[in-house]
Amino acid sequence: MAGPLTRSLHSPRVLVALGMVLCVAFCAAFAGLVAPHDPSEQNLLSILTPPLWDAGADPHFLLGTDSLGRDVLSRLIFGARTAMIVAFAASTGAMVIGSILAHVSGYFGGVADWIIGRLVDIWMSFPPVILSLILMVGLGVGLDRVILAIVLVDWTRFCRVLRSEVMVVTRHDYVAAARLLGFTHWQTILREIVPATAPLLITLFSLEMAIAIVVEAILSFVGLGVGPDQVAWGQMIADARQNVYQSPWDLLLPILAIVFTVAAFNLLGDGLRRALDVRLAEAGH
Amino acid sequence: MLATVVKLIARRLLAAVPILLVVSALLFCVLRLLPVDPAAMSLPPTATIAQIEAKRREMGLDRPLPEQYAMWLKAALHGDFGRSIQFGRQAGGLVAASLPATIELAAAAMILAAILGFGGGLLLFHLRGTLFESIADLGSILLLSIPEFLWGLILLFVFGVVLHALPFTGEVSPNLPQPDITGFILLDSLLVGRFDVFLSACRHLILPAFALGLAFSPTIMRVLRSSLFDIYHEDYIQQARLRGLSETQILLRHALKNAILPTLTLAGVQFGILFSGTLLVEVIYSYPGMGNLMVDAVRNADLPLIQAIALTYCIVVLIINTLVDALHIVLNPKLRTH
Repeated sequence: MAGPLTRSLHSPRVLVALGMVLCVAFCAAFAGLVAPHDPSEQNLLSILTPPLWDAGADPHFLLGTDSLGRDVLSRLIFGARTAMIVAFAASTGAMVIGSILAHVSGYFGGVADWIIGRLVDIWMSFPPVILSLILMVGLGVGLDRVILAIVLVDWTRFCRVLRSEVMVVTRHDYVAAARLLGFTHWQTILREIVPATAPLLITLFSLEMAIAIVVEAILSFVGLGVGPDQVAWGQMIADARQNVYQSPWDLLLPILAIVFTVAAFNLLGDGLRRALDVRLAEAGH
Repeated sequence: MLATVVKLIARRLLAAVPILLVVSALLFCVLRLLPVDPAAMSLPPTATIAQIEAKRREMGLDRPLPEQYAMWLKAALHGDFGRSIQFGRQAGGLVAASLPATIELAAAAMILAAILGFGGGLLLFHLRGTLFESIADLGSILLLSIPEFLWGLILLFVFGVVLHALPFTGEVSPNLPQPDITGFILLDSLLVGRFDVFLSACRHLILPAFALGLAFSPTIMRVLRSSLFDIYHEDYIQQARLRGLSETQILLRHALKNAILPTLTLAGVQFGILFSGTLLVEVIYSYPGMGNLMVDAVRNADLPLIQAIALTYCIVVLIINTLVDALHIVLNPKLRTH
């Protein structure tokens, strides 16, 4: 694994993407230190001030304030924390469930494969947006609920793509050799198959981060996301829509934040796909 | 060939029946987990406990869950999806009234996505080996990173708020009549001969359709480019070149024909996703389709309506996928023998 992964670090695409991701991750991790204000502190005397480059800006608030006089920059930074927590936890959960089922399905075949295959079919007949909305209705709002909903919707992405990769790897001679050496099924999967499917897994994980960030923004936008006590980019957009004529930047800045972060993960996924030479249909993600 | 296609469609629709049954059962269970009481919600707040209990019995809510599902399924098969709690009207009727707007929006968006996707794909392929290749490639990744609801907001902001160029709320201007024959406003306005209504509906359709089309074109773009790449490694392209055909002739007569198949398959899959993508775009543009109705129902915990709409989305997506498979067989001779 060290070989191809270190090699991928020589790709400029991966490096740039990694830089962008680290930038967002840094803001998310040290939000309390980076942000100039408390994101929910209201300054009703200076509401809807424009960002610094516009006339009439208050130098106290670099990117202006929203309709309740909350600092937009601080809200963007804390929004990054919400987005990254949701994306990382949800992608990890979806990856764990999806890849366990994919390995069982692709390695053992037979009845297990049939059952898991039908399960994926049923799941995928639900459009993802609709399914996540319904789950949020059932689960209620909250950070953990959003994560759970995304895991429950998106495990199929990992399962479907990985399953065929596992089937290909399972047919290799070295897997049969491992079995002949007396490895149990689980040893074979963990020591021989997982390392072979890991590059695909890492690529899919990066692409899933991008998807999860969009889904979280969508759910927060329609008011079924992380809840009112958390700061989320989707919520900022929904709030700013009401005052788009007075302060357009309140709308544009969270949009830019989402596009920047999603593009970073898509670029990373694309760069990893090339560098690790992963067979991945464009449609697969 | 026709027989094969009909057989395929029949088989796929038959296979869809158990899937729909499981999907509807899952939906039913998830929605029953909600801490809301449909009986209490459909009565005025002054209702007594006894009245609520009576209503619960009347709605069958006191029976075990499987029995409730069987009752719902039996009614649903007769076209009765229950009454919407917030509107007090049949959920099925509400869905039927809002479906045409969503279909019109999805169809317009798909046409745009196909045009932009094919054009962009050819452009990306044309730029191969030039200085612009990686710039165009990065550009397509950036495009891929803007989901439909952000496009919706960006276009609304630029063309609606800043430029005042296009309308961005509703289906037609509020001062115009809305003819209702088939429910499809574009069709109906032509049927009654109101070209002003037709034009207004078209202008209202532009921004939402572009928001969806722009979001779904990059995938088509990238698949067309990569299948063209694959095909240009084939011997017959070299052969054609040796026969003295120009690059344009090779592209149009040989390469494109074969590259279109995988692209079309993907476009079909995309159409299924695009159809559910209408949801947020409709919310942003207050477009009176199924997506708007869904978000309304979700916010008000209107269970019968949520159930009916979600099932409709699933059915439409299943139909789209079946038709795409059928189209695939019509276009690809290799698949017909199976």
